[in-house]
Amino acid sequence: MRNISSVLGRFAKSISVSLVLLFAVTMSSNAQDAKEGAALFKANCTACHKVDRKLTGPALAGMTERHSEEWLIKWIRNSQALIASGDPVANQIFEEYNKVAMPAFSQFSDDQIKSIIAYVKEEEAKANDPNKGGAAGAAAASSDVNNLMIVGIAAILLLAIGVIVILSRVIKTLEKVIANNAAAIEAAKARNEAYEESRKVKFAQKFLKNKKLVGFTALMVVALLAVLGWKTMWNVGVHTGYKPVQPIKFSHQIHAGVNQIECQYCHGGAYKSKNASIPSANICMNCHNTITAADHYDGEISPEILKLYRAVDWDPDTRTYGNNPRPIEWVRIHNLPDFAYFNHSQHVSVAGVACQTCHGPIETMEEVYQYSPLTMKWCVDCHRNTEVNADNKYYDQLIEAHEKLKKEEKMTAAMIGGLECGKCHY
Amino acid sequence: MDSNKKYWKGLEELNQTPAFVEKSKGEFAEPIPVEDVLNEAGLSTRTPRRDFLKALGFGLGAVTLAACNRTPVHKAVPYVIKPEEVTPGIPNYYASSFRGQSILVKTREGRPIFIEPNPNAVGLNQGTDATTTASVLDLYDMSKLQNPQLDGKDVEWSKLDSTVVAALNKAAQAGKQIAIVSTTINSPSTLASIAKLTAKYPTTTLVQVDPVSYSGIIEANKNSFGKAVIPSYNFGKAQVVVSVAADFLGTWLAGEEHTQDYIKNRDYKSLKNGKMSRHIQFESGLSMTGSNADVRIAIKPSEEGAVLISLYNEITGQSLAGGTTNKKAQTAIKLVAKELVNAKGAAVVVAGANDVNIQSLVNAINTQLGAYGTIIDLDNYSKQYQGSDAAFQQFLAAAKAGQVGVAMFLNSNPVYNYFNAEEVKEALSKVDFTLSFSDRKDETASLTKAIAPVPTFLESWGDESAKEGLYTIVQPTINPIFNTRQAEQSFLVWSGDNTSIYDFVRQNWEANILAGTGKSWKEILQAGYLYKGSASGSAYSANVDVAAVAAAIVADAKKIAGDVELKLYESPVMRDGRYANNAYLQELPDPVSKVTWDNFAAINPKFAEQLGLKENGKVKVEANGKSIELPVLFQPGQAIGTVSIAVGYGRTAVGKAGDNVGKNAYPLASLINGTVQFVAKATVSKASGTYELAQTQTHHTIEGRNIIRETTFAKYLKDPNSEAGRFTDTHKTYDLWNKYEAPGHKWVMAIDLNACTGCGACIVACNVENNIPVVGRDEVRRRREMHWLRIDRYYTISDEESNKYTKEKEINKADALDFENVSVVYQPMLCQHCDHAPCETVCPVLATVHSSEGLNHMAYNRCFGTRYCANNCPYKVRRFNWFNYWNDSRFDNYLNNEFTQLVLNPDVTTRSRGVMEKCSMCIQRIQAGKLKAKMENRKLVDGDVKMACQAACSANAIIFGDANDPNSEVSKALRNERVYYVLEEINVQPNIGYMTKVRNTFEA
Repeated sequence: MRNISSVLGRFAKSISVSLVLLFAVTMSSNAQDAKEGAALFKANCTACHKVDRKLTGPALAGMTERHSEEWLIKWIRNSQALIASGDPVANQIFEEYNKVAMPAFSQFSDDQIKSIIAYVKEEEAKANDPNKGGAAGAAAASSDVNNLMIVGIAAILLLAIGVIVILSRVIKTLEKVIANNAAAIEAAKARNEAYEESRKVKFAQKFLKNKKLVGFTALMVVALLAVLGWKTMWNVGVHTGYKPVQPIKFSHQIHAGVNQIECQYCHGGAYKSKNASIPSANICMNCHNTITAADHYDGEISPEILKLYRAVDWDPDTRTYGNNPRPIEWVRIHNLPDFAYFNHSQHVSVAGVACQTCHGPIETMEEVYQYSPLTMKWCVDCHRNTEVNADNKYYDQLIEAHEKLKKEEKMTAAMIGGLECGKCHY
Repeated sequence: MDSNKKYWKGLEELNQTPAFVEKSKGEFAEPIPVEDVLNEAGLSTRTPRRDFLKALGFGLGAVTLAACNRTPVHKAVPYVIKPEEVTPGIPNYYASSFRGQSILVKTREGRPIFIEPNPNAVGLNQGTDATTTASVLDLYDMSKLQNPQLDGKDVEWSKLDSTVVAALNKAAQAGKQIAIVSTTINSPSTLASIAKLTAKYPTTTLVQVDPVSYSGIIEANKNSFGKAVIPSYNFGKAQVVVSVAADFLGTWLAGEEHTQDYIKNRDYKSLKNGKMSRHIQFESGLSMTGSNADVRIAIKPSEEGAVLISLYNEITGQSLAGGTTNKKAQTAIKLVAKELVNAKGAAVVVAGANDVNIQSLVNAINTQLGAYGTIIDLDNYSKQYQGSDAAFQQFLAAAKAGQVGVAMFLNSNPVYNYFNAEEVKEALSKVDFTLSFSDRKDETASLTKAIAPVPTFLESWGDESAKEGLYTIVQPTINPIFNTRQAEQSFLVWSGDNTSIYDFVRQNWEANILAGTGKSWKEILQAGYLYKGSASGSAYSANVDVAAVAAAIVADAKKIAGDVELKLYESPVMRDGRYANNAYLQELPDPVSKVTWDNFAAINPKFAEQLGLKENGKVKVEANGKSIELPVLFQPGQAIGTVSIAVGYGRTAVGKAGDNVGKNAYPLASLINGTVQFVAKATVSKASGTYELAQTQTHHTIEGRNIIRETTFAKYLKDPNSEAGRFTDTHKTYDLWNKYEAPGHKWVMAIDLNACTGCGACIVACNVENNIPVVGRDEVRRRREMHWLRIDRYYTISDEESNKYTKEKEINKADALDFENVSVVYQPMLCQHCDHAPCETVCPVLATVHSSEGLNHMAYNRCFGTRYCANNCPYKVRRFNWFNYWNDSRFDNYLNNEFTQLVLNPDVTTRSRGVMEKCSMCIQRIQAGKLKAKMENRKLVDGDVKMACQAACSANAIIFGDANDPNSEVSKALRNERVYYVLEEINVQPNIGYMTKVRNTFEA
């Protein structure tokens, strides 16, 4: 049986591999297109569309089955014109989606629209593929040397206590054997009951009499306190795990995780500026003027989204803005000291560091907390290990100089001055 | 040591006074009482062990408790609706203009934080002066009015408007004059708004008067050419410049523009081509321009006219009476006249006197020299100073006669800066309704019935036209902070026009300025300026009755000739006093005297000796029946028999920082020949009391080291290496340290001593860029100024006398000098970012370390203040924070309130008490430039990164760049033969190269 199942398993595997290969070959003609389409899709469509679910606009999965390519091209290029031309399908969709007009994308060429369609198809196929891999997890936190050391030390300490206790027992037994005769043992046996009662007291007395043990225990307690104190002192001002209550229960898990909104959509600053910048409320309103999460709240608008409406003074009934906006006062989680200069764009755009490297699995966070310690050691460690993005032409000269030196295999940020004081402190 | 010239920083160094010798030995001016503590008595002081332990225990506990506060919760408040153009963390730049110069205003998150010249304004000035860069602080000035006022009480604008309109109607009905008294207005839209008011109230007249008047030139040009204008000067075409008391590189007309053009004939590029202009200065006080002259002759103010008569005689061969009798001047004039004639068409004479006759004679001379149409441009004339002393006289007379119904003061403060303040006060009291547009309750505004405060130029829409044909835009960079309103808007409202000021300016541009140029309003907002003038002016010939003019000059000179003559001048730092509340400017040392926070009576040391005056003494100067008491400053170079005093000080109602700083010298001026003149016959007498001026000059000594290299143009032509005295040319050097590799960039700087005029614009730019605190007069006296960049001023005896006075026989001969013929070398001194930095080796905590880009980094948060580095720095460029200047009530005048701190550059840390700081080579700019290149996926190119000091420098004296790029401007400059490194003999390997000073002296 085992044999048969393994043979079957292997067979199934080879079939699936060849299928995947076949699929890949058939797709390869579209591969380039799909890649371009992905970029176009993310830049232009994600605000209103997702492949697998309804957003402001319909879910796009299966759109090629529902509509012809020519129709899609016409629709995407100028949906209003198509509606105006009296196309029945177009009008139906328009009615279905509360007459929210899809903006015209007249700048797209036919090929570009086709690539978007190719991308949607590819996504569709991925969604249908049961073997799809889980989202790439955040980089595993580097093993905490400190913790390991403490556990090790504790183990050694326990071992030492054990050894001392056993040794002193052995010594005592030997002493007893040498010094006491059998009569003494008999007498002791006779007083056994009384002995039983006072055993605990005796044990304590014995323990206290054993000066070595007392001394060692005291030493251990002091050492433990010292280690704890040391650790606490080092963590003063380190706020890993800081998770303040925010004025709006905004969930990154829903937005970045489930809905897969690009980080850049809201935190555009991270790609071009020093500050990642918290999005202004009008960015939220891009989606939330239609998304009210009412299906989760028995047809009522979500109380959290209502807070947003209050902030921008938006009346969801009349769909109008008032004149009394009140900015949302978020609680800042990542607080770098003023004497440290940090620039998001250098790390995100130039070095290509993923947001998750420092901010952790943000797409799974119901409430955001501080994932990284934000200590200088943490910065420096990363600078020591991260290779410089050699694609950037700015580094050409440095790479050339480094080639000449040929000291190491990779050129890290540290090697080009990433550890110098003035890189962050000025 | 090639040169046998002796340089000194101050007279005490030259004279080696015992106090100076004593002080120069110590690292710090005030001794640190180490000995007192460590002597026997100090050590044997009995502190019982228990007390010690108690104190220790309490201290430890208290510090622990004090440290135990909850981590503060920081809020992050984003915009509700973010403006599209704003990205937090990225600066925005807006084109605007200040005093007619096209500038860029850098804003961060909506706050203006820096001003630099508009790089796109090709052909216009590419540097900013100290007042321009410092003006950003005025926006955050707490002493400004926050609301309009009526009778000293805050009112609504509507109330003010109805009151003003009632007053205007009353005046119009009574047929009384409505006078707008203003400094020069060259803004087309302001003039248009005044025209609107005039249309409604026809009795409106505009009276323009400038505190430092140039009406003498206007009158003279009216007489000579029939054009009542001040010409613009192009010193770039001048090979020989003779200036008679005109500080044309500093305060005279457009100083920065002149500097830029003038230096083009003297900087390293010009010298490389074997060309250098010659500049001869005749003046009484040592001005900044005089200190840069090749030859400088000290004369009395009464001799100015005589010198010009002699010069005219020499040039034309005529023999007008009244030539100078000063021997030195006569010799110089003979030589210079020849030069001028030889350089016809490339020679110019300028004079600083605000006197019609002197200026007419200058016109005659310049006509002879063919300067009109080449250097002097009467077609594209300057519009910066159109004030008329006569017009103001008429206004005062009319006001006193009760003919003025309404008087409005716009940018004008005659109660402070008119020589006869009493007359102004009397006139004001006879006017029915008075109003000031001042942004603060200044001397005049506190006497007016109403104040309609105006916002600063950073909050306003407007325009300027500093020159005929040149138009610059003023656009706001922030909403008005206080409840203020532009004067132009007020004029519109009072004339019953409800157009907003933006629409008004725009309509005015579109109808009058842009018409026919094909440019749109938006394009102008982006470019910031429009030039419609011609390339150069046409030739003019002055029509002057020379004999009559000369006779008048002689007659007028007699009025001011005396044993002691007074010369008032405008300091390039404080100017006419309108920026007196700007702490950055108050702390900027005067270029020549290096005095901060005061004005003073500058007297020649020899003359002072004759008068029995001592340094740190006070003196009473009397002229025109008025007198002021001032501290004495021994000023080498000052003509004997003269005393110079700067105007612009002694404000009494300008604000916290500027009130009662120095004494007001305007009252000593007088009306001569119809114009306000800054010269007078004076008496000087010793006053009681002492007063220590806060000078930065004597704070460091050069210990007789050879750090200034100077040569003459003749020597330079023979050998470009002359006097460069490079140590490495003659010595082999050995290194104790390993060489630092700089594989990527190596940031270096070249400073052209021949281009630096010492103006100090770079210092202010550095202060604003790097959040350098202002410490105040007392702290400067203790030598604790925080400037990262200073300009050292070294005196030396002019060639003629240097034979008498060489290194070998120095001190005794000093007494024989009359200190009139000194010459000056300026040397900007900042952290040299040495490759073998002595500061780095002595820092016990590695707070200052070297970078792989050749910079000497300073990590403030590592520093714990041993000050070993400052002690070990051979250049003395490190500064210690003695106080937490940002949060200390003792420095309440300046930068420690929340509002003013909005001027701070968010990319630079403010340093706390107890840490060292120094020039970082604007590392924030370097990092920003690199990041920009990376974001654009390209290499960094030369010019991407500019230092703040470099950006401000009109003379291009500071060149910064990457030494690893052989084609960068700095690499080219450093290959120059004139380059030497200061103190290179101690092999610290500085990264800032200096170029020898070249003086184009007479070869006689």
